[in-house]
Amino acid sequence: MRLAAKVTSKRNGGLRILLVEDEQKVAKALQEGLEAESYSVTLAHTGEDGFFRISSEPFDLAVLDVMLPGRSGIEILSAMRRQGIKIPVLLLTAKDAIEDRVLGLDAGADDYLVKPFAFPELSARIRALLRRGKSEAAVVALSMADLQMDLLGRTVTRGATTLDLTAREFELLEYLLLHNGQVVSREMLARDVWRETARHTPLDNVIDVHIARIRRKVDDGFSPKLVHTVRGVGFVLKAERL
Amino acid sequence: MNALQPRNVRARLTAWYVAVLAGVLLLYVGGASALVFFQLRSELDRFGIDDLETIEGLLSFGADGKLALHSDYHDHPYPANMQDRLLEVWSGDASLLYRNELLGNRVLGEKPETGEGAEGYSIRSIRMSDGTPARVVSKKHLLDGQPTLIRVGYSEEPLWQHFWQIAIGMIAGLPLALGLAGMGGYFLARHSLSPIERMARRVNEINAERLSARLVVENPDDELGVLAKAFNETLARLEGSFEQLRRFTSDASHELRTPLTAIRSVGEVGLQKQGAIEDYRETIGSMLEEAGRLSHLVDSLLMIARAESGQVRLVRTTISLLPFVRETASVLDVLAEEKGQHVSIRGDETVQVQADGAILRQVLINLLDNAIKYSPSGAPISMRVSMSSDDQMAAVGIADNGPGIPPEHRKKIFDRFYRVDEGRSREAGGTGLGLAIAKWGAEAHGGQLDLQCPAAGGCIFRLRLPVAGRTSVKIRSEALTAVQVHSEAPTDTLQASVVFFRH
Repeated sequence: MRLAAKVTSKRNGGLRILLVEDEQKVAKALQEGLEAESYSVTLAHTGEDGFFRISSEPFDLAVLDVMLPGRSGIEILSAMRRQGIKIPVLLLTAKDAIEDRVLGLDAGADDYLVKPFAFPELSARIRALLRRGKSEAAVVALSMADLQMDLLGRTVTRGATTLDLTAREFELLEYLLLHNGQVVSREMLARDVWRETARHTPLDNVIDVHIARIRRKVDDGFSPKLVHTVRGVGFVLKAERL
Repeated sequence: MNALQPRNVRARLTAWYVAVLAGVLLLYVGGASALVFFQLRSELDRFGIDDLETIEGLLSFGADGKLALHSDYHDHPYPANMQDRLLEVWSGDASLLYRNELLGNRVLGEKPETGEGAEGYSIRSIRMSDGTPARVVSKKHLLDGQPTLIRVGYSEEPLWQHFWQIAIGMIAGLPLALGLAGMGGYFLARHSLSPIERMARRVNEINAERLSARLVVENPDDELGVLAKAFNETLARLEGSFEQLRRFTSDASHELRTPLTAIRSVGEVGLQKQGAIEDYRETIGSMLEEAGRLSHLVDSLLMIARAESGQVRLVRTTISLLPFVRETASVLDVLAEEKGQHVSIRGDETVQVQADGAILRQVLINLLDNAIKYSPSGAPISMRVSMSSDDQMAAVGIADNGPGIPPEHRKKIFDRFYRVDEGRSREAGGTGLGLAIAKWGAEAHGGQLDLQCPAAGGCIFRLRLPVAGRTSVKIRSEALTAVQVHSEAPTDTLQASVVFFRH
């Protein structure tokens, strides 16, 4: 864990995030979680405070709750966009009504997340938003420890052994490798790997079976173990023990 | 206007009744009086003709060349009476030959009109110069070789007097008749409306807590009986949905409480014991799992609530059913593989439906997942797409070889939170909403979802959807399409399932 923190601190160090959330517990948890990923997090509990902070201090990204006492997240968002503040904004909403999403995106939100969400999901979205706009070299190979994935030849090897993966397993492993050391939730897998619009129980079971198979193929007879289940949260590909 | 509007139906009915009756009676009075008038006048006309014939015989030119009326004509019974008539005689060149004293200065019409009295008698009503209405009978007559026109007239005044006497006499009696009729009408209206008052009192006693009360149907065939029956049916439906809602609320709170209890107890126990960091991770993970289940349950409940309030709008596209079923089923392949089950999908390639892909997918996944979950390891599962020839419905049958569903559970299997085996499906991670959602999905498309349990064992869930058409190229694929064969299923069981499906 400490090692992971070091890795991410290199990546996220100095990036400032404004978090506007009135629910104290949620706010505290998100702040700690994001700080563990080495972001510098400023917390605001009301819409007014949030808007004051955002107009007076420089931030790299804002996470706004939609339902806030005083000014709603969407009001803050439109006001700051009118002021010409262009930083990426992630909206948190308790309603998944389509109108709400459309309203948020119309007001200038870059992304939205419906509560309740898994923390890894929030973290992944934030990373994606911060990465946005920066050109990245096309990834042709991924690796972790002695696991090598060749994206062009679509082959996977562990040490000297070539692993025989199905198309779905390959995609799943690629997704885990891309989230280098970050936990991915079942929601993320359902959406990004299976491309299902609705998450449902049968799909969770399907995901579990695939993870079990990947684990068998990647880890059986090899060391260190790479595929780990974080109970209640999701899965992570890591070289060290949790 | 509103002040004149009677407040209750009784009074309104009576007012209408009296008004209509008054109208009818007035028409009757008018009609009857007119009838009497016309009868009297036609009698008068007959008299006129008689008189005119008499007068023809009494008229003659005197020695002085003047026309005179012989009142002593012996053949006629009432020659003297003829003096009472209004009488004019005109010559052929339209000069007045005779006018009797009774007429005085008045005239029975101006100079003869052409054709007046030429053919038989002409009869008309005129108004004399002093305003008296009169009836005139005229006839042409050759008198001593000279053409003359004789006019006999009578005042119509007595007729009109008679007419008004009758009319006024009858109208005078109207208020009394209307008053009596109004009272009778009011009494009748009150009597026939009194069951409504009783019904209203009874309905007032019914509320959400007492929905089981019903109206008394006195006569099922009359209007009030029909109303009472309709009301009772509405009450029954209301009671049904209230009952469903009550059950749903209590089921939902039970379902929500289960993971909440787990979170609490796991947390409390974890906090009490002094454990290694690994134990704490385990505790937190377990709590998170339950939290996940809880949020999943809330999502499903929300979806059902939205579906039931009709907020879900279907986005329909034309879907080729068989490829769609294959593609959807492939998502769950691994689950069947893990249990060594073989899912065979076959049927009519040409069937197409107009459906919302996401919802149809959910329906199929829920049904197949159900079949996989409840079939023993190694048992075959078959899905078949077909088209029923009788009612133009596309059908997807999902047959498993599980233990079947006991008859007493079959009806309730689609109820929310209903589980045949409580412990088992909860362990398997089910919310108990899968089949309820599937049924809703089928019905939202105008289709049905039903269950058949053959005596031979297993279950067949049959999803029926209105068919959109068939692809033009008819390829009937009866070949068995194995999606995944994990463990070799014995051929005889496979065939058994095929035969099973065909009957």
